[in-house]
Amino acid sequence: MSLAVQVVFTGLSAGAVYGLVAIGHSLIYRLTGIVHFALGDLIGLGAFVTLLVAAGTQPLTQETVSGGRMALAIVVGVVVCVLVGAGGYFAVVQPYIGRSAIGWVAATLALGFAIRAVLDAGFSRPAYVFPDPIPFRRVGHDGLLTILGAEVHVRSFAVIGVAIVVAAAASWVLQRTWFGRSLRAIADDSDGAAIVGISVERTRALAFGLAGGLAALAVVVAAPGTPFETGSGALLGLKGLVAAVLVRFGGLWTAFAAGLALGIFEAAVGTGLLGHLPGLASYRELIPLLAAIVVLAVRPLRLREAVE
Amino acid sequence: MSAPAAAAVRTGAALREVLETARASWTDSATAGGMVALAAALAPFALGGLIATDTLASGAYLALAATGLGLCVGLAGVPSLAQGAFVGTGAFVAAHVLRHTQMPGELCAVIGAVGAAGLGTAAGFAVRSLDAVRVAVGTWLLSWLVALALGALPWLSGGAQGLVVPTRRLFGFSPTPLVHYELAVILTGLCALALVALRRGPFGLDLAAAAQHRGAAAALGVPMERLRVGAFAASAFVGGLAGGFAVQLDIVADPTAYGPLLSFELLVAVLVGGAAAALGPSAGVVVLGLIALVARAFGGLAGVSGSRFQPMLEALLLLAVLTTGGNAFVPAAIAAARRRFPERRIRPRPSAAPLRTRRELLRAHELAERFGHVRAVDGVSLELTPGSITALVGPNGSGKTTVLRLLAGALPPDHGHITLASHELTAATPAERVRHGVVRTLQTHAYFAELTVLEHALVGIDRTRRHGGAVRALVSTPLFRAESRLAEAQAFAALEAVGLAADAARPASELTGTGRQRLMIAAALATNPAVLLLDEPSAGAAAEDLERLTAILDRLRAEGLAVLLVEHNLRLVRAVADEVLELELGRVVRRERLPRL
Repeated sequence: MSLAVQVVFTGLSAGAVYGLVAIGHSLIYRLTGIVHFALGDLIGLGAFVTLLVAAGTQPLTQETVSGGRMALAIVVGVVVCVLVGAGGYFAVVQPYIGRSAIGWVAATLALGFAIRAVLDAGFSRPAYVFPDPIPFRRVGHDGLLTILGAEVHVRSFAVIGVAIVVAAAASWVLQRTWFGRSLRAIADDSDGAAIVGISVERTRALAFGLAGGLAALAVVVAAPGTPFETGSGALLGLKGLVAAVLVRFGGLWTAFAAGLALGIFEAAVGTGLLGHLPGLASYRELIPLLAAIVVLAVRPLRLREAVE
Repeated sequence: MSAPAAAAVRTGAALREVLETARASWTDSATAGGMVALAAALAPFALGGLIATDTLASGAYLALAATGLGLCVGLAGVPSLAQGAFVGTGAFVAAHVLRHTQMPGELCAVIGAVGAAGLGTAAGFAVRSLDAVRVAVGTWLLSWLVALALGALPWLSGGAQGLVVPTRRLFGFSPTPLVHYELAVILTGLCALALVALRRGPFGLDLAAAAQHRGAAAALGVPMERLRVGAFAASAFVGGLAGGFAVQLDIVADPTAYGPLLSFELLVAVLVGGAAAALGPSAGVVVLGLIALVARAFGGLAGVSGSRFQPMLEALLLLAVLTTGGNAFVPAAIAAARRRFPERRIRPRPSAAPLRTRRELLRAHELAERFGHVRAVDGVSLELTPGSITALVGPNGSGKTTVLRLLAGALPPDHGHITLASHELTAATPAERVRHGVVRTLQTHAYFAELTVLEHALVGIDRTRRHGGAVRALVSTPLFRAESRLAEAQAFAALEAVGLAADAARPASELTGTGRQRLMIAAALATNPAVLLLDEPSAGAAAEDLERLTAILDRLRAEGLAVLLVEHNLRLVRAVADEVLELELGRVVRRERLPRL
């Protein structure tokens, strides 16, 4: 029982981040029909810009950053992420939409690897510890709470909470605002949207920026728990993509739920909750990846999908 | 004459023929390619000491893997992001075989390549019918899957320190970096030659057609899924071969070396050098090598390792090439050379063979198709007899095109059946129907933008070839060459029937809209059909186009074809049709036979 509780909380706090990335992937796919291979690295960029503003590239301890500076750092990190995301849309996606698949595939990959190379050049240590925006260590037993016999990080609650708030805000924006209606109109029919006076390119660019920015926010909240590497963003981008593919780029909450499920699955297999098959834990990342490839390959057959 | 003497004479004749074909097909590009290969082989001696030979050898293996990827990206137009995974599979399979057996090095590399080809076949099968977005995502996930598996499974990868590989002799030579380098250059050259041979043969032509317009290729019965699986398998085999040899050069199989970054770098090499040219990927690898040198110098200035800058420079270079219109180095150089030195060789035009057609009766009985609650086609029966033209008319939405699609196999009917002569075709796929002799054209002006007029007809002919497989094309068997000559003559016959024979060598993109429509009729004719299903051939036609179309249709009737004409233009219908069926709400409301002179 205590193991199950442990798995659920660990899984949910990892999965909440995957879920936000999955929302980003899903939104971009429905909006433009492409998959943004640089999304994960954009999130990594947001996280490292936050670190840079908060503490520079030096090693740091959690005591060295004031709350005000940390708040500023998070704002700057998210803003940079949104700007680079939106700029990236104009630079590497828009020229190729509907024209050359190899073009946008290669260009988004290039953007991702370029971002990672810049991070590698600026942050040369193997891994970084993030300053804590909220001093969780003062809560409970050095940041741990005992729930039903399981030791749960207080941070988990914050990560899950922030992710749910962000997802709910995104959902509200999509459903209730002019911007959201424009997005849905473009996703339905971009030519039609253009005819009724929606600025398709600007709206898409903003969505590209927000898709990365929102996830970066969750990453910054989640990051202090574990060491963060320059390649961590790309891995998060991959997990989000896997979650989004598993639900066939479904709706906002579907993608979020897929991310949560992926997090719980990884935690469950990783801790041996699903029985102690020898070596099963090493497959916790491989099984969902394989499942995603299978889901991609076996589309529901739609009348031989006439290609006319 | 004794049997051995006769055999000797035959062999001599065959050899002479090979020599003559070789001389006839020798081009300036072949000379240029040969010179590049020679320069590459001599590079370690010329660069003596400037660049370490083992670095050159690694680069040459990279060029081999990139050339393999060129098959997928260049020929098939598929954005494969898994080539790094295939190289890694080849490397680790070869490493395990080397550690556990005493087999010679080259055999272990080939076994690694076979393992990679297995993975490539599975990957190709998984993405065989997917659009480009899903192919990119699927291969990207595969690339990560292999990288994460190597990281997570020590029994597979030997853990963090990798697998140490014993060194063996290669083809009897001791495995020095120089031997590795020359071997890699030879393999890359052979692979580039194979690409050229494949591109000229049916395999490459069909792949190109499928890449340029899926719908039009499907209408001509191109077996796109099988071709794509083949392209993936072949490209993975070459990648695996590069990995299997390179691991013997490195002496250790490093589990971190085959991640998504390698897949990306190989894609950069192909796109920067040029996916369309056989030597493009190799040129791209040379450019990447130069970038590595620049990155090292750059890193030296900044006081950090140069490898940190390398992906960034590669990414910037790729973006630069993409934004300048995507015409990569080698194709741009070829185009420039062509402008300065026009190709001297003029291909003799083959004498046209007679147009081949079959005479067979198509019967459709009580066809029905529903879309949700709408009965698009509701009990339509018709017969298409050889040497007659049946026109299907009716208002928009009356089910004309749906009937045509049911006959062509693009839709499975909810009810009813279709037979051609004695063959039951109701459940046959479009490709199977084309082989049996039922072929259609599309309503749109769809065509293959980068093929010539003659090549369009050859795509049709490919459906009728029996000795046109990829392996025969690679070794250019006598049967293959004889059949290719015949195919060209038949393609001319099909072009002649629509009045395009004089334009055979022109790019199809230079034709007008109605010209392209006639071209697609010619491609359909080239499949040796019994039944031709034409979807609004008059769309966009001016008065003189209509006259020409009338003449073409009269000619097809005279050849004994059974033609179904879905048409809005009643003038054309009245001018050519033998029988008119009027559809309304999916039912035949009127049948009329028109008297023919």
